[in-house]
Amino acid sequence: MARVLELIVSGLSLGGIYALLAFAMSLTISTTRVLNVAHGVFFVWGGAFFVILSQHLNLHPALALLILTVLFFGFALLFEWGIVRSLLGRSVHLLLTGSIMATFGLGLSMESALGYSWVTFVDPYPVFSSSLAMFPLTLGGVSLSGSRLVILAFVLLMVSGFHLFLHKTFLGKGARAMAQNFDGFVVIGLNPYRLSMILFTLAIVATAISGAFYVLAVPLNPYEGLPLTLKAFTVVILAGVGNLPATLVAGTVLGLAEVITSQLLGTVWAPAVSLTMLFLVLSFKPTGLFGKGVY
Amino acid sequence: MRPTRARATTAAAGVIAALGALPLFLSSTWLVVMFLSFVWLILTANYDVLDGFLGHINLGQGAFFGLGAYVATMLLNIPSVQQLGALTHVVITVSALAAAALFAAVMAFPLFRLKGLYFAIGTLILIFLLQVLALNLGPLTGGSYGLYVPPAFFMSTFVAYYLALVVAIVSVALNCYLSRSTLGLAFRCIKEDEGAAQAIGLSLMKYKSIAIVLSSLPSAAAGVLFALNSGFIDPNIALGVERSLLPALMALMGGTGTVLGPVFGTAIIRIVETVFFHYLRLPVPSMLFFGITLLAVALVIPEGLLKSPRMRRLALFRALAS
Repeated sequence: MARVLELIVSGLSLGGIYALLAFAMSLTISTTRVLNVAHGVFFVWGGAFFVILSQHLNLHPALALLILTVLFFGFALLFEWGIVRSLLGRSVHLLLTGSIMATFGLGLSMESALGYSWVTFVDPYPVFSSSLAMFPLTLGGVSLSGSRLVILAFVLLMVSGFHLFLHKTFLGKGARAMAQNFDGFVVIGLNPYRLSMILFTLAIVATAISGAFYVLAVPLNPYEGLPLTLKAFTVVILAGVGNLPATLVAGTVLGLAEVITSQLLGTVWAPAVSLTMLFLVLSFKPTGLFGKGVY
Repeated sequence: MRPTRARATTAAAGVIAALGALPLFLSSTWLVVMFLSFVWLILTANYDVLDGFLGHINLGQGAFFGLGAYVATMLLNIPSVQQLGALTHVVITVSALAAAALFAAVMAFPLFRLKGLYFAIGTLILIFLLQVLALNLGPLTGGSYGLYVPPAFFMSTFVAYYLALVVAIVSVALNCYLSRSTLGLAFRCIKEDEGAAQAIGLSLMKYKSIAIVLSSLPSAAAGVLFALNSGFIDPNIALGVERSLLPALMALMGGTGTVLGPVFGTAIIRIVETVFFHYLRLPVPSMLFFGITLLAVALVIPEGLLKSPRMRRLALFRALAS
């Protein structure tokens, strides 16, 4: 019983992180039609920078998170200005090839730059894990990992934040409008370039912070970015693009499925879960489990 | 039209003859470099069948290569296959090609329900799925330790060079055929407008399946040649992400949908790679270089060299592209 509860908590926290990653991705895909393949790499970079700041430079975790936010704010602006901006004006096919190829190229170079410089300058063993002491929590005779609970709390906070942003603020309503009808959005005089800048910044900063929280519980390695992008994309397809509640459900399903699989068949099979799941959904219900939704 | 075509045929024959005579003058190191370039050219030309002619970005082209390499090597490690004598090579090649074609035909159904970026990611997932299988089905594939080809079945680079040259010529000829046949016209019709293509009676699934099966065969053959020549494969060598990424980069750089685009793209990338990483031995990871190149190509010359308006103004490129 205790083992089951432990598994559920770790499945939920893993799934919550997947859902966050996927939601940030589907927010940008549905509004700008630009697929960011480097999304998972930003997540890994967030984790790596957090470990460098909080462990190798001995900063307080809160200060490290603050510096991380400012840093990735800058990265995100650069990304939007350098890559997304020049893609946005293109015709459909060129936008598609351009966005996949450019962000794939960026993701790979970021990945190998991080892997190379980590091994050369920081630590010959290329794994980022945080040794921040996390209290083990005892709940009715069951001990739970504190860092998992911190992740869970963080995910709930972020999801409610996203929900409030999309439904209560002017910018969030603008984002929903852009996803629903791009031409209408432009006709009523709103600026798609400015909104795309804001959304990409938001998505990338949120992703980097999620990475920082993720390394509290699970070690990351530099080359995990692209597989994570694929997992996020699996969740996006399972849920339907731009459907926030469904993304949360789909992410949780994937997280629980991975935890159960690694418990029953061994951890080596966990990466196969999302891939098989995606193929099954594509074969039997290509519109996603919940149909196509718009915020 | 006719004189240009005759000139093109002469030029192609000349290039092929020169490449055929080349091994007599090359050291074994350069022979390997050329052999690997042909392998890349095969993958790139096959990638362009789906991208250039059908408008689908296939980031899983390396899956067919890896599948071919793995099926051939796995069969070579079975004792009863080793005793077939001269037939062994035929048997492994035919089964590798059949496996890749079957895989492509089966995967066509879930994959071609997707369009655009969903298709691209779906195919990318394919290669990760094969990687997981190759890593975890240890008894069959050797897991992360990889598989060795029994020494009796090694293929000398000299033989591999000519076979790869033949397969590369077949791949480029396939693209050439597609650029001027009814089949290719059907592909391009689907690329331009799927609705209109259906309205004039083209079966989308049929043509898309034909395209993916056609593009899988030479890639699998390249995988077999690569495995036999190198003697060792593991999930990173045979199914690494760069097996799928570099064909896309090379085709995009040269210009998709043109017969010569993939050839030029492959040549440029291979020359730069050879000079930077084998000759100068730059101490940077090669994926960093390829990633940045891909980023730059996608942003600066999105149409590829041969189709880019900037390049078209140069007379030399106009002559080559015709």
